[in-house]
Amino acid sequence: MARNPKHDILFEPIQIGPKTMKNRFYQIPHCNGFGSEKPLSQAYFRATKAEGGYAAVSTEYCSISPESDDTHRMSARLWDDEDIKNLSLMCDMLHEYDCLSAAELWYGGPHAPCMESRCVPRGPSQIPSDFEYLTYAIEADKDDIRHLQNLYVEAAKRARSAGFDIVYVYGSHSYLPQQFLTPFYNKRTDEYGGSFENRARFWRETIEQVKEAVGDDCAIAVRMSTDMFLGEAGTQLKRDCLPFVELVDHLVDVWDINLSGIAEWGEDATPSRFYAEGRALPWQAAVKEISKKPVLGVGRWTNPDAMSDAIREGKLDIIATCRPSTSDPFLPKKIEEGRLDDIRECIGCNVCISRWEIGGPPLICTQNATAGEEYRRAWHPERYTPAKNADNDVLVVGAGPAGMECAMVLGKRGMRRVHLVDANDDMGGTMRWIPQLPGLGEWARVVNYRKIQLDKLENVEFIASTSLSAKEVAEYGAEIVVVATGSYWATDGLNGASHDTIQGADASLPWQATPDQLMGEGKTLDGERILVFDNDGYFMGVSVAEMFASAGKKVTLMTPLGNVAPYMHFTLEAPNMHRRLHSLGVDIVTYHLPSRFEEGAVVATHVYDEHGHEKTWEADGVVLVSQRRSNDSLYRALKDEIGLDGLKAEGVDALYRIGDCEAPRLIADAVFSGHRLAREIDSPDPSIPLPFRRERRVVDPAFVKAERGWYAEQLAGAV
Amino acid sequence: MSVVVVAEHLRGEVREVTHELVSAGESLGPVSVALIARDPTPLIAAVNVEGVSEIVTLAAGADEFESDTYEQALEALIAERKPRIVLVGFTVNAMGYASAVAARLGLGFASDVHQVSLEGDAVIATRSFYGGKVDAEVEFPGAETVILALRPTVWAPAEGVGSAGVSSLDLSLSPARARHVEFLEPAAASDVDITQADFLFSVGRGIGDADALPELEALATRMGGTLSVSRPVVDAGWMPSSRQVGQSGKTVKPKVYLALGISGAVQHLAGMKSSGTIIAVNTDPEAAIFGVAHYGAVADLFDVVEELEKLY
Amino acid sequence: MRVLVCVKQVRALGDEVEFTADGTDVDPDYLDAALNEWDSYATEEALCVREAHGGEVVAVTCGPKESEAALRRCLAMGADRALRVDGVESHDPLCVARALAEVVREESPDLVLCGVQSSDSVQAATGTALAGLAGLPHVAVVTKLELGTGSARVHRELEGGLLDVVDVDLPALLTIQTGINQPRYANLRAIKQAEQVEIAVRQAGDTAAGSRVRRMFVPSRGDAAEMLGGDPAEVARRIAEIVRERVA
Repeated sequence: MARNPKHDILFEPIQIGPKTMKNRFYQIPHCNGFGSEKPLSQAYFRATKAEGGYAAVSTEYCSISPESDDTHRMSARLWDDEDIKNLSLMCDMLHEYDCLSAAELWYGGPHAPCMESRCVPRGPSQIPSDFEYLTYAIEADKDDIRHLQNLYVEAAKRARSAGFDIVYVYGSHSYLPQQFLTPFYNKRTDEYGGSFENRARFWRETIEQVKEAVGDDCAIAVRMSTDMFLGEAGTQLKRDCLPFVELVDHLVDVWDINLSGIAEWGEDATPSRFYAEGRALPWQAAVKEISKKPVLGVGRWTNPDAMSDAIREGKLDIIATCRPSTSDPFLPKKIEEGRLDDIRECIGCNVCISRWEIGGPPLICTQNATAGEEYRRAWHPERYTPAKNADNDVLVVGAGPAGMECAMVLGKRGMRRVHLVDANDDMGGTMRWIPQLPGLGEWARVVNYRKIQLDKLENVEFIASTSLSAKEVAEYGAEIVVVATGSYWATDGLNGASHDTIQGADASLPWQATPDQLMGEGKTLDGERILVFDNDGYFMGVSVAEMFASAGKKVTLMTPLGNVAPYMHFTLEAPNMHRRLHSLGVDIVTYHLPSRFEEGAVVATHVYDEHGHEKTWEADGVVLVSQRRSNDSLYRALKDEIGLDGLKAEGVDALYRIGDCEAPRLIADAVFSGHRLAREIDSPDPSIPLPFRRERRVVDPAFVKAERGWYAEQLAGAV
Repeated sequence: MSVVVVAEHLRGEVREVTHELVSAGESLGPVSVALIARDPTPLIAAVNVEGVSEIVTLAAGADEFESDTYEQALEALIAERKPRIVLVGFTVNAMGYASAVAARLGLGFASDVHQVSLEGDAVIATRSFYGGKVDAEVEFPGAETVILALRPTVWAPAEGVGSAGVSSLDLSLSPARARHVEFLEPAAASDVDITQADFLFSVGRGIGDADALPELEALATRMGGTLSVSRPVVDAGWMPSSRQVGQSGKTVKPKVYLALGISGAVQHLAGMKSSGTIIAVNTDPEAAIFGVAHYGAVADLFDVVEELEKLY
Repeated sequence: MRVLVCVKQVRALGDEVEFTADGTDVDPDYLDAALNEWDSYATEEALCVREAHGGEVVAVTCGPKESEAALRRCLAMGADRALRVDGVESHDPLCVARALAEVVREESPDLVLCGVQSSDSVQAATGTALAGLAGLPHVAVVTKLELGTGSARVHRELEGGLLDVVDVDLPALLTIQTGINQPRYANLRAIKQAEQVEIAVRQAGDTAAGSRVRRMFVPSRGDAAEMLGGDPAEVARRIAEIVRERVA
C-alpha cells in the first residue's frame, strides 16, 4: 500500500538547531517506570519507537541532582558517570535507527519529595507543594540560584556525553524554571521575582548557560506550559508565555508547548473521556505565530489527517506523541506505508499514566500488551515467532478483550486453525457496551482494532451467536482450549468491604440492576431516584451515576470508601469527573455501607460508626456496582466434571483460562493475559508465565568484597 | 440493430427501470418494448414514452410475474423478431428468467451492466467484478442476440409521451410450474439495521456535537432514510456502533448514500463505496469522499440541512 | 430426498490490484478465496431439508483444485458428498451452468439450491440458467422454503422487501437469498473430518464460453463526482431530486 499524499508533509525532515529530524514524528518526554536504573528496559522501550519510524525520542523527566528525587515515582537520572553509561545505551540504540535522542533535564523543586535521597529541594519561594503536601522547598538565595543553574549545566554536559542530541530546560507542569515564572510559586521581591522580566530571569539565564555549554553539539529544547488554568496566579499565555517566547526565541532550537500545572495535569494529558484529540492546538498555534523556531506539541494524536492538517495550517511543525506512541510504536511506519487500519489507536484511558501516578511500577497499555515488555519478555509489538506447536487447532471460548487478543496473537504465530467463539452476535464481550458509557466512546477502539486484525488472519475464524456447553467444547475438535468467558457484576451485593452479600440485594428484582443488565441486556430502572452502590474503585460506578443523572434522575452515589472512584485520581480523570458529577447534582455519600436494600429505601451505616447507626436513603431504583465475579462455570465444568483426562480422551491436550474468567481485572490486564498465553503457548507449561528479565543488581563475591572494604574504610577511626 | 426492452411491472404499475431501459436502448437501435402480462392493455400507456418505436403485447400467464411465462414469451418474441439486443433490468424478476432464456437459446448474456456500446456489429457491455473494485468489458463473439440486464438508476429514465405503435404476439404457453399466490408486506424492523436501508443519511464529525443528532435523525426519517454515522461520531459516544458505517462497523450498499460532513477516511470508504449513488457534502473541496461520490457539493452541511428541512 | 447444492469458491480483492499479463483478469496473488456467502445459506437450507425429510445433501462446484476448499466447508457443515467439475475456466455463468447441467442429469436431485449470486461476479445468473438447461421449475431470490409433496411454497423477496408467495412444482431449482436461515458453524472436528473425504472429480464436457472478458481495469473515479453548484438551497433541491429518483 502506498502512503496517502495528504500525509507527505509528515515525512518532511526538519532542522532543529545543529540536528535534523528525518520526519515530523517526535516521542515527547514521558515516563515508563524504567529510569536510569533499568537501562535495558529503558533502551528497548524507546528504541522500539525508533524502529517504528519516530525521528526523535525523549527520556522521561530526567533528574539533574539528588535534590530532585521523585521517589516513589520513577524518573530518569543523570547524577553521575554511571548514569551516563546507563542512558547512553538508549542513545546508541536510537541512533541505530537514525533517530535523535532527547534528555528532559528536570528539577522538581518542592514537587519532588526526595524520599530516597533525603536531600531538600530548592525553589523560588518557600511554599509547600500543591502536589506533595509534606514537602517544603528551601527559598533559594543568589548562591542557591547559581548552584541550581550549575546543576543544569553539568547535567547538560553529562547528557551530551551520553550521546543525547537534544537537551531540555524543562519547566512545564510547574517544575523549577516555570515556578520562577509563575506568581503562584514565586513570591520573591528581588530581581528574580515580581515583574515578568524578573520572573523570566532564572529560566532565561539557565537556557543561556546550557546553550553556551552544549549548544554547538546539542539542540536546546524548552518545554513550557502555556496556561496553568489558575487564573492570574498561574502562568498565562498572553501575560507570561508569549512574552517569554519572544524573549528567548533566539536561544531556543525547538519549543515544546503544552498546558496545565502539575496538580491537574490531566488538562494536558487529556483523557478521552473529557477531551478530543488535539486539545492544545490553539495554544501551540499561538506560540507558532510568534516564534521563528520549530514548535512541537502533544494532543493524543492518532488521526494522520488531523496531524497533517495541523502542520499544513501552520499550527505545529512537529507532531509529538506520548500515549499514541505507546499504544503503537509503529504509528509513523504504518502511516508511511498507508496501513492505516493496522494502527493501534490510543484510547485515552490513561492507564499508562496511572502506573506513574501510583508510583513505581512500569507502564502498561490497554491497547498494547507489549508496552513495557519489549526487553523484559522480548515482546516486539509487530513481530511474532512462529509457534513451535503450530500444528494444533485452538478453540478460544469468549471474544472479549482477552479472547480477541489471544486469538489474534495465536493467529499471527501461525497456529493451524483458531476458532474464536462467542455467544453474542459480535466480538467485544463487555467492551461492546462499556464504550457506550458517557465519554468512553474511544474505548471502542480496543474492539475495532482487533476486529480488523482478526478479519485479516486466514487461520482465525470468528463464530458468533454460539454458546457452547462443556460437552460441545470437549468435542469441538481442538487440541488446545482457552476459556475466556469474562466476568459479571455481582447480583447479591457481595463486596470487598465486608466480603459478604447485602441483605435484600437481588438484581433479579425489577428495581435493582447491575451494569451488565443495564447496558448489556437493556434492563431499565423506573422512578426518579436512583442509588448507585459503588465499591469498585474505578469508572463503573461514576459512569452509571453520570448516565442516570444526565437522563434527569436524582442520583445518589454511595461508597464505603473515603473517595469515590479513587483509581481515577491516577488516571487524571478525577477532577473533571467530580466537576461533572457535581454539575449534574449527584449526591456523593462516602464512608457508607448499605446494611440492607428494601423496595423504595436503602439503609446504610457509616463504616467508622462503632454503634452502627442506620440512616435511610429513599431510592426507586438501585444499581449494584459492588464487585465483579468470574464467569467460571464453563471452565469448572471442563476441569472438574469432564476432567483433564476426560478432555484428553476427546483429543484436547491442554486447557487454559485467561482474563476476567480467571479473576476480574483491568481491561489492560485482560488483554495482557490473552497476549501472554498466546506468546507462550509453546512453552513447557503455558499456564504459568515464563520468568521475565528483572534487571536487578546481582551481587558477586568480588563486588561484595570491594564494598565491604569500602564500608570498613568509612568507619576507620570511628569510636 | 434492433433492441427489445422487456417491461417490468408490479401490481398494475410499470416500474421505473423500464423507462431507464428505453433510454439505454435508444442509443443502440430502434426500441420495441415487450409487455408480458395476462392483460397487457392497461400498461400500454405507461410504457409509451419518448424513444419507444413499438410496443409488443404478449398476453399470457398471470397478472404478476411468473418465470415460465416470461421465459416462454421472451423466447417466442426472440424467435419471431430476432433482436440484436434484449434489455432487461437487473432486478429480482430478471434474476428469475433472463439467464435461462440465454442459456437455452445459446445467446450472449451479461448482468449488472452499467455501460453498453457498439463497435461495428459487436456489442460491448461493461460490468463490475470483485465487489465493484474493477470493471470489465465483455464481448459476445458469435452471438446473434445478446441479453443484457442493466443496473438500475444508471440510465436516466425516458420521459414524455411517445407515439409507438402497438402490435401483439399470440402465444400458447404451457402452464407455469412456479405460480404466484399472493403478496405479503415486509415485517417492520424492530432494531435499526443500517445494512437494510435503501437510503442512508450519514453524518460525520462535521456535525460538531451530539446536540445536532435528534434533528438530523428526524430529517432523515422524513426523507425516507435511516441515519448512519462515521467512526468519529461513535468514538465520541454520540451514537451506538450499530449505526457505524465503515471497516470496523458495517458495510452498506444502499441505493443512495448521502454523506454530510464526512471526509472519507479509507476505513469509512471501505464500508460504503459500493453504494448505488453517493452524494457528498463537505466544506473541504479536497475531501477524499469526493473521489468516490457521484455527486458532490462543497458547502456547509448545516446550510444544506436547513434547506432540506424546508423541502421535507 | 437428494438435494444438490451448487457452490462457488469466490475470490475477494483487497485494496491493491494488479492484472494478469493479458489484462483480462486480476492477478490471483491479489485475491483471497472463500466460500460464497450466499452458498453457505443455500447449504444450510439443504441441511435443514435433510433434517426434516431425510435423504442426502450433495455439494458441487465448478473450478480448479483450489476451489475444493468451498466443498470441504460444505462437508464440514454436514453435506454428505461433494463433487468438483474441472475444466471450466471462464467467468461466463452460462458456461458454468452447462457444466452443472451435466451433473444434474447424472444426479437427478429432487431439489437444487444455488445462491442468488456470487460476491465476486454478481451475475445472479448461474442458478436460473442451470434451471433453464435442466428443464427445472425455478424461483429466484428465495427467503423462505416450505416443502410439501410434489410442490413447495416459497417466498421470493422483491425490491423494498415485498414478499411474493410462489408455489413451485418439484423437482425444482431455487436460488437462495442471504438471511433465509442462520448457517451453522462447523467445529474443528468436522473441519478435520471433511479434510479426509474424497471429492469426486469429473471433467466438463462443453467448455465453450459465450461471453468473454476482453479487458479488465480499475475504473477511474477521481474526477467522476458531478459537483452540484449553486447555493445551499439549490444543492438541497438537487439532493431531494436525486433521492426521489434513485430510491424506488
